[in-house]
Order: sequence, then structure tokens, then C-alpha cells
Amino acid sequence: MAAEVLTTPYYRVNVLTGTRAARVVDDPAEAARIVAGAKNPLYVLGPDAVRLSAGDKLLIDYALDIAAARDMPICATAHVKRKLVEYGKKPDSTYDIIEIVHFLKMPDWKGVRGEGQHDLVLFSGVRCDLAERGLSTLKHFAPHLRTFAICRRGHPNADYTVPVTARGDRWTEYLQGLVAALG
Amino acid sequence: MTGGKLKDEVVRTTIRAEDDWEPIGPTPMPSVTDLRNWDLRLLDSYEPFYAPFCDLCCLCTYGKCDLTADRKGACGLDMASQQARMILLKCLMGTAAHGAHARHMVDFLIEKYGPEHPIDLGGQVNVESPIIRTVLGLKPQTLADLRKAVEYVEGEVIHLLSATHTGQEGDHRDFESKAFHAGMIDHVALEAADIAQIVGFGYPTSVADTPLVEIGWGAIDKTRPVIVVIGHNAITSNAIVDYLKEKGLYDKVEVAGICCTALDVTRYASFAKVVGPLSQQRFFLKTGIADVIVTDEQCVLTDIPDLAKQTGSALIACSDKICYGLPNRSEEEVEAVLAHVLEEGEGVLLLDPKKAAEVAVKAALALAPRRDKSLLSTEDAAKLAAKCRGTCELCNQACPNLLTVSVAVNAMRQGDPAPIGRLFLRCIGCGACEQACPHHIPVQRLMQAGAVQEKYKLRSGRGPIHDVEIRKVGSPIVLGTIPGVVLFAGCSNFPEDIDDVAWLAEELARRKYIVTLSGCSAMAAAMRKDAEGKTIYEKYTPEFDAGCIVNVGSCVANAHVVGAAIKIANIFACLPNRANFELMADYILNRVGACGVVWGPYSQKALTIGTGAVRWGIPVVLGPHGSKYSRLFMSKKEHGDWRVMDGRTRQLVDTGEPTPEHMMITVESKERALLTIIKQCFRRNDTPPGRAIKLNSYISVAKQVLNSLPDDLQNFVRTERDIPIVYKREVLAYLKEVGWQPKPTLSLPTVIGTYETRVPIEATVKELPKK
Repeated sequence: MAAEVLTTPYYRVNVLTGTRAARVVDDPAEAARIVAGAKNPLYVLGPDAVRLSAGDKLLIDYALDIAAARDMPICATAHVKRKLVEYGKKPDSTYDIIEIVHFLKMPDWKGVRGEGQHDLVLFSGVRCDLAERGLSTLKHFAPHLRTFAICRRGHPNADYTVPVTARGDRWTEYLQGLVAALG
Repeated sequence: MTGGKLKDEVVRTTIRAEDDWEPIGPTPMPSVTDLRNWDLRLLDSYEPFYAPFCDLCCLCTYGKCDLTADRKGACGLDMASQQARMILLKCLMGTAAHGAHARHMVDFLIEKYGPEHPIDLGGQVNVESPIIRTVLGLKPQTLADLRKAVEYVEGEVIHLLSATHTGQEGDHRDFESKAFHAGMIDHVALEAADIAQIVGFGYPTSVADTPLVEIGWGAIDKTRPVIVVIGHNAITSNAIVDYLKEKGLYDKVEVAGICCTALDVTRYASFAKVVGPLSQQRFFLKTGIADVIVTDEQCVLTDIPDLAKQTGSALIACSDKICYGLPNRSEEEVEAVLAHVLEEGEGVLLLDPKKAAEVAVKAALALAPRRDKSLLSTEDAAKLAAKCRGTCELCNQACPNLLTVSVAVNAMRQGDPAPIGRLFLRCIGCGACEQACPHHIPVQRLMQAGAVQEKYKLRSGRGPIHDVEIRKVGSPIVLGTIPGVVLFAGCSNFPEDIDDVAWLAEELARRKYIVTLSGCSAMAAAMRKDAEGKTIYEKYTPEFDAGCIVNVGSCVANAHVVGAAIKIANIFACLPNRANFELMADYILNRVGACGVVWGPYSQKALTIGTGAVRWGIPVVLGPHGSKYSRLFMSKKEHGDWRVMDGRTRQLVDTGEPTPEHMMITVESKERALLTIIKQCFRRNDTPPGRAIKLNSYISVAKQVLNSLPDDLQNFVRTERDIPIVYKREVLAYLKEVGWQPKPTLSLPTVIGTYETRVPIEATVKELPKK
């Protein structure tokens, strides 16, 4: 059976007008396998990660757990660094969202830790319309990497996306499941 | 026009080559490729960044062509080139809109005053048209000269548009060069349009302290007959003012505007009022407060005939750009037109401004007593929202501004209007939520119950920056001790609260930036009061100086801020600007810390203005909706090639500092926008004290929004003298930690000499003879 793809996300402004849509990853264990299979992943965090909650935690709390599970570097865009400083953490990069996407599309870029271009990039907490534009850039101009939208609203221009998840409790379960599966 | 003797002859005649106000530079009335090398040099440092909206090209019948995965279309275009082609098309829409506006304005005023009507911008403005002087090489003296400028724009548009046809241009960088050309000639059109209306209508010029006018939907007195003018071309609006004055009715009829027409009618008559920016257009029209709606051109809702029918407002369309399928009654007598309007409820197309004005006023006087303008009560709003349960979320999904509409509507159902009042302040006014609602709940009408009927003070547009102001601020701007000149331009497609522009503007003004505003941004900036009830227009000086808040006027008045940057090079630095685009743009790029901001971008015109600004060397910061333009200009930051010439030693120097860092970038939050704007005002030319002042702002804002030093501080500290004293110890420790090395400081940086150009490097230091 062909994998399910996402063409109509939660926000209609992000509906796919095209031919290449994201594969829906509705099982957090599979999401964990994708993340675990990456050699040099990166997690890009936008400001909604510090504004939106999932259950009784902020989205950024889950994102930090996911990153920590794989020693994944973090790019804190917009003003996300402020929250990380509060947490006593230092992001690996504070490039803004468009800047990090710009560097990610360069095949020979050295990555945020100087260890080479990343092969998988996770996105959370970036404003959905802006994220979709950045994912489109990477879809078309960064064939050397894959993208994974860890966002309950769904992103057709990513390579992998969380399914549109209307219910908050299901979203929390997904995040918890992903963290647990990553060990 | 291509080169050759014929072109030379036409150009020399057009610009009156024999006029000796300045020697003619290398590029009078440049054609499509004359500035191509400059463009490609810019693109070497600032690569186009594309974010395609669509995987396909659907422009010709070879297609649809799938351009994913490095595929090319049947014509041979790849994805990058297709994106750039679409950008050029969008820019041309903007140029055409402004160009047609300028053409209409100039022709109307020539009809009224004759072609020899003089261009006189008052005693404070001698360099009356820095853009036209620089681009064309013409010093316009009359309205007929402005028509020449518009004709030049029209001619270039044809060539540029032809390049978008299938089987024409094929390289994305060349498409971008053409988009730059479209942007530059757009600025010519802007300048021509605004100068024309200043001299034709007597708008303020050579004065900074223009009247404070009322803005806000609460400012409109609905007990009077109300005429609402919408759009950008105030010819008919001004005719309405004339008619009211002539008949002694100006204190009996409300004239209120939405979008730039509002700004321009308040430049003409300070008793006119501003409803607000275009985001409030649909909301306000649905209140039914307008007895008569008068539309002109640009950014006017295309379903106004439906809205007028819903509320019983009369509709008069006044522009050949927007006919709405209405009958053209321009040739009929006023009383006959009124009969159609009042007795049949017919919307009419009236292309004669005087007639439209008379009909509008008479219709408003007749209609007002019979119309019920009461707003929706909380109780009635709750009834209209009764079917909402706040669970289907179809309105949220439809909202292009990603707002949680359902929560507000559901609260309204329960009798709580506060959430929908807050929603009103973030709503961009598209109405998508209403169309998505399966119960047809009129969300925008519900806002009447929650939106606070506030009114604010807005300073009316002041037009050009004065030469004497330029002489005063030129030196501190170039030295860097005035940390930057920021223009907030463009539309009201704001990502969050409407008053965020006011927040950004005030954060900069209190740090002594020169803050200028135009268009819907200028309006939105008025919509925030401090604890004493004052807006930023009441708190900060209107003079073009450190810490000012200057409303230059409507969209076409954007030209004056670009013009101010040119004037710094021309008046302060004494560099010749006549037909000297590259020299001016190089000066601005390297030495004038200017930055354009479009926090709520939506229109093609805003894209064009921004693209033109980039060609002039002015970086642009866009709000998140700007990513949907699908193209930005990004550097490789610290990994880029930042070599420039030292104009004094004529040596190539690796400055190692990415300034300006990007030429067009989208940022997500207002906090990041503030940081980015400040950074985009850094210039290689900054003196150490100037850079220290700029870094002081940069560090203080970083501490405010990131709670830390900026992570890229090392990129912008050239020597220890650049470090602000108050942060010296902390910054030195940080620089040591990251292995910072000193960088060269240049007093005369230029990219002239780093690419093939007819401008000699000597020109960057040559001074005009002092006359």
C-alpha cells in the first residue's frame, strides 16, 4: 500500500498546489525510527514552541527532550533563545528561520556544529505559513536533506509530517510517544 | 529602448542635455540592461532565495509543467527561473499600478493647470526630485516634465513585461535584474505622482509640523452623512472636499478614508478623517456607517458592490481600473445620476471627479436620514453566533493569518464580546472565516459588538524631506552617530496586533533612529496610545532628525525616503546624481544606514517598492507574510565574500563584516524584527563612535529580547573602539571566548571597482563644485 501523503493541512493557506507531498507519519515509533536513522540531524525551533502548550508542558519542552535523546543540535530562531537561557541551555545556532533554511540548502555547508551539512531537519514552533515556505525552499532546492515537520497542523512541503491532529490530547500523546520511542 | 544614436538623441532631448545643473552621468534613462552589471554584483553578495508557492508552471499551453526535482518545463525554465519570472510579473503589476496612478494624476493636473505648471516644493526643497534626477537625468521644472518621467516608465514596462513571455528570458539572475529595473522605475512613478499632487493640490511641503488628524473607526461621526473614500488616488476625494467647502458643508458631512486615499485627502483637508488601514475596509463597510462609498484605485475590495447592497450604502466607482460592471453614468446630468443612485439603489461608474463629488455629497445628504446606522448590540451578536459551538474550527483553518476565530465567536455566543474585540485587532479583513462557516455566521459583523470605538491622532503626510534637514543629519548618518534611517512602508497584513508597528517605531525612535512611515503602516502606527493617551505622532518630533516620527504620506510618498538617501549622497557628500544611478546606489549601500520595513506585506506594489529599494542599496525587512512573495535576497553572513574597494587607496580590502547583512529578509516575530532592523542599519562606513552607538542599540535589544549578547556580535565589532563603553567588559570577554580578530575599518568603502562598470572609482570621492 502506498504511504499516505498530506496535501490538505489544517491551514488552507498551506494547501499543496503541486505534485510532491509530504509522507504522513502517524506512528510516533516510526517517527522515532526516522529521527534515529539520521546521521546528523538538526532541530529548528520557532517562537510558537515557547507560546503553545501540549498538555501541561510547553511544546519546547518536548522538543528539547527529542533533541536530547539524539544529541541533536538546536537552532533557536526568532526570540526562542530567551526561553533557552531561562532553562540554562545554549542553542547551537540562533540563525533566524530564513537564514537557517538558506544555509541548509547549501550542500557544502558545515552545519551548526561544523560537522557537515545536516541530513534530517526537524521543525517545530515556526509560524505555519512561514514554515511551509521554508519547507518549500528545502523541497525544491535541498535534495541532499530531508525535512520532518513536528507540527500538529501538518505540512505538505515537508518530506515527513505529523498528521493533522485536531485533538490536543492526541498531539500530546504523539509527542510523548516520540520521546519515549527515542529512548 | 536599446542603445545607439537614436536613443542618445531621444534621451538628450528628453532630459534637456543642455541644462547644466550637473554633468550627465553614465546612465541617463537607463534601459533594461544598462544597470545589469550593478544588479549582478548585488546578486553575487545577496543570492536570490526562493520559496515556491507551487510545484508547477501553468502559464502556457505546453503545461502544466512539473518543476520539482530539478525538472525543467517544456520551454526549458527551471524552478528558480520560474520563480524569478513570477517575481518580475508581480513587480510589474506594482509598477503598472503606480505608473498608471502617476499618469492619471499628471494628466489630470495638466488638464487643469496646463503643462507648464511649475514644480515648486517650497523654500526648503531645492533638490525636488532626487529619484527622477538620478534615474533619468532630468531636473523636472513643470508638470510636462513629470509626464516625461511617466512616459519613460511606461516604455520600460513594455520591455520588461515582454521578457516574461514564454521563450524569452531564461536565467533567474537576469529575471531578478529586470525585477530590479521594474522596482527602480516604480520609484520614478511614485516620485512623479507625489510631486504632481503636491504641486497640483497644494499638499504640505517644506513643512514638518503638519496637522494632527483623527484616525480610527471611532473617529467617524455617524450621526452625520458619511462619505467613505477608498483607494489610493485622491483626485475625486479632493473634489469632494472642494465641493463641501464651496457649499459650506464641510462641517456637516463626514469625509473619511480607508487606505492611502485617506492619507492624501487629509493632506488636502485636515477636517477629513481616516478610518484605518485596508485591513479594516471590509469590517467598516459592513457596519453600514458609510452612506456613500467612493472607490478609486488600488487595494480596493473587489466585492464592494455586494457589500454596498448588504448595507444600503450608495456606491460610486471613480476609476477606469475598477468599473465593477457598473453602468457608466459619466455623461449624464447630476440629477439623473442621483435618481439612479437614490431611487433604484444603483451603483454607478463616474469618471468625472467633479460630477462624482457632487453626486456623492448629494447622495449622502439624501440617504443619511433614511438609513439605520446602529451597530450590532452584544445581545444581537450573541444571537447571530448562536449556532457556533467552537468545535468545527473551519473558520480557524480558513484564516490566512492563522487566528483562532472559533474561540472568539464561541465566546460571543455566550455573550462575551471581549475576545472578538481582540480578534478585530489582528484580523486582516479577508472574510475567509465567514465563507468557511457552515452556519454562515457573519464574523466580521460580530466584531461591531467587540471592537472598541477608539480614535487616535495621526500626523498628516508631510511629503519630501527638506534639503536643510539633510544638511543637518547627513554627517551623523554617514558617520553612524545617528544609528539609522528606517522606513515603515506598505500594507496592513500584519501577523499579530495592528499596533506592533507602533511598538517597533517607538523602540527605534527612543533609540534615536530616524523613523519614517508611509501608507497603511503610518496609519497603524497611530493606533496605540501610551498611559497619557498619546500616540507616537504626538510624542516624537516630526522633523527628519534623530528620534523623529515622520509620516511622509501615502504609498507614493515612499519616494521621499529613498529620495532622502539620495540627497545625503548628493547634498551632503556632494556627489553628482544626474544620470548616476550606480554612484548613488553604491553610496547608499555602503554609507547610508537605511532600512525599509514592510511588517504587513500583501500587495504586489509593496514587493515592487521593496525590490526597487534593494537596487538602491537599501535592505528590506519583511513580516512573515512576506515569505509568500516567494523571493528574498540573502547573504552567506560570516561565510560570504565581503571584499570591497577602499575608495581612497583603491585597494581591494576584505572587510570580513557582513554589512548590510541581507538585502531582503523575512522575520517571524516583532522582537526579531527589531534586532534585524537595527543590524540592517550597520554600514561599513561607520566610524568607531558611530558603530559603538549602533552596537549599543543592537546589544541592548538583544538583551531585551534574547536575554543575552547577540551571537553574531563578533561579525560587527571591527576594533575595540567599536565596543560601547557600557558593555565593554562583557563584550571583550565574549569576543575572547569566540576567538574574535580585529577587522579593517574603511572610511570610503565602495563596490565600484569590484565589477565592470562605466563609473570610475575616482567618482566615489569626487565632489561636486560648490555652487
